[in-house]
Amino acid sequence: MKLNVNTEIALTYLATRKKQTVIASMGVMFGISMFIFMQSLMKGTNDYFEKMSFNSTPHIRLYSENKVADNHMLVNFLKDPSEKILINPKQLIQTQGIINPYGIIKEVKANPQVANVTPQVTADVIYTSGSVQINGNVAGVNIDQEDKMFDVQSNMLEGDLHDLNKVNNGLLIGKGVADKLSLHVGDNITVTSGTGSPTIMRVIGIFATTIKQVDDTKSYANIVQAQNLLGKDRSYVTDIKINIKDYNNAPEVARDLETMTGYKAEDWVKANEQLKAAFKIRAVILNSVIGVILLVAGFGIYNILNMTIYEKIKEIAILKAQGFSGPAVTSIFLQQAIYIGLMGGIVGIICGFGITYMVSRIYIGAGTLKYLPMSFYTPHYIEAICFGILTTIAAGFFPARKAAKVDPVTIIRG
Amino acid sequence: MADIALKATGINKTFHDAVNLQVLKNISMEVTKGEFVSIVGKSGCGKSTLLYVLSTMDTDYEGSLDINGTTVTGKSLNDLARIRNESLGFVFQFHYLLPDFTCLKNVMIPGLRLGRLSYKEVEEKAYEKLKIFGVEEQALKKANKLSGGQQQRVAIARALINDPAIIMGDEPTGNLDSKNTGIVFDLFQKLSKELGQTIITVTHDDDFAKRSDRIIEMADGEIKSHGHK
Repeated sequence: MKLNVNTEIALTYLATRKKQTVIASMGVMFGISMFIFMQSLMKGTNDYFEKMSFNSTPHIRLYSENKVADNHMLVNFLKDPSEKILINPKQLIQTQGIINPYGIIKEVKANPQVANVTPQVTADVIYTSGSVQINGNVAGVNIDQEDKMFDVQSNMLEGDLHDLNKVNNGLLIGKGVADKLSLHVGDNITVTSGTGSPTIMRVIGIFATTIKQVDDTKSYANIVQAQNLLGKDRSYVTDIKINIKDYNNAPEVARDLETMTGYKAEDWVKANEQLKAAFKIRAVILNSVIGVILLVAGFGIYNILNMTIYEKIKEIAILKAQGFSGPAVTSIFLQQAIYIGLMGGIVGIICGFGITYMVSRIYIGAGTLKYLPMSFYTPHYIEAICFGILTTIAAGFFPARKAAKVDPVTIIRG
Repeated sequence: MADIALKATGINKTFHDAVNLQVLKNISMEVTKGEFVSIVGKSGCGKSTLLYVLSTMDTDYEGSLDINGTTVTGKSLNDLARIRNESLGFVFQFHYLLPDFTCLKNVMIPGLRLGRLSYKEVEEKAYEKLKIFGVEEQALKKANKLSGGQQQRVAIARALINDPAIIMGDEPTGNLDSKNTGIVFDLFQKLSKELGQTIITVTHDDDFAKRSDRIIEMADGEIKSHGHK
């Protein structure tokens, strides 16, 4: 035993007051395990929603945005920019989509951050089956690339998505569309776009995402078929969908692509602002709950140390008489707080992991979400023990300082 | 002239409670090394107050105090703690042992605090000290399991662990029966005669005082007699 004498006294005090020590460290333990559990749940949920959003949204979407009519033609003609005839300019529809899409795709692919690029033709359509009509949209895609980027396969309920390459007028429809029009694989459906003529297509597969709005409206067709639906030529592309290597860089890459191509590049952060807002709100809720728990644990330690100091005030006085300085006495009591924090912290980490693991085994079965998404992320555990020890030090500091200020003369003389 | 263990010059102390009350009036005294001095006087004459000033625990006084030739007046609290640890031993009316620790540990703590010897050496030394006072058999018992006389003996052993220059006692026998008082007195005498320790005690016990080397009499905050023979 080669302990420092302050440490030895601190440990003896803790050992002779087992009940208080255990209760105080349990406070810390609850705080830490809740911290870990809540952090894991939040990160797990956030990761899940992020992943979900990437199932339907690319990291960056490049598209041609309608522009407000400006007066450049007029200026060309009048040679006087101060002349203003256009007083209520309207949006001009961009009928050509993206000009030279395959050239742009080639350029985009040259960017080292870009992982995958695929063109898409989006068409607003009316699905008709029998006498029932519903609105929706057809995404004309290269299904193999689409599957690689968005894992379409995992959403498939019936049929084979690769048939889209084989069947000329094949269509993958959402489950909502299938239910509303009572369609099954192999049935025919009439699809009409605003600009093209009605086309009879065949249902070759049914998919279901967890997003009802998508399932009720969306369908996939071959890109060529979608161009036909709109009555457009083979170079007509409305969107270029881009996945990059690290999706956290999306805003910067989007800006680069925007300057490079001249088209609007929307990153997933902008497209999912409500998701980001939800993340923020959850973080606030979580941090306030954890804050309260740690605060309560801190008060527990504060109380117990304060009580110890009142009980031991004579012993503190005698230690000071024997030559223990103020800092030595502070160290004795601060160490008690730290050991309580450490014990509670270590048990709390184990408990936190246990709770997280158990909860991650709870079956909830909502849509494609089978189990609660929990993340096991090491920095949470490190953060937790740091917070725990910081709390205990803060809680132990004031009682310890009080102990250091005990005046031995007043106490010993009574 | 023999070495001076402790020298106080012109000590004045005033309590500032409701009214200003001067409890020590211009006290000067010297104690030589190896001397066994008793301070006597009526209750409230200021003898305990004087002892606490001499002990360096009470720093609220005027005048100056030298211990072992070093002026301690005006030093920081941490330096004073170090000086107490190194050169002063205390025995109080109540034993003030730490009840959660064994007797041996109680004796060892000031020694460990000083940190001059290894843990093992301090342990051996503490055991030796307990042996001097005939309580070595209680060494591993908790301090609160002992009788009053035994506790006081352990407390004296604790005061000696760092071989202090001066041992100060505040009514060290005040709480003991005559048999134990006798034992403690014999121990003090042994310490001063055989081991050359300087002892300053405050006492009410006239028999105890008479048997010491020198009696300093106090009244109303002043020294009436230095008791030099």
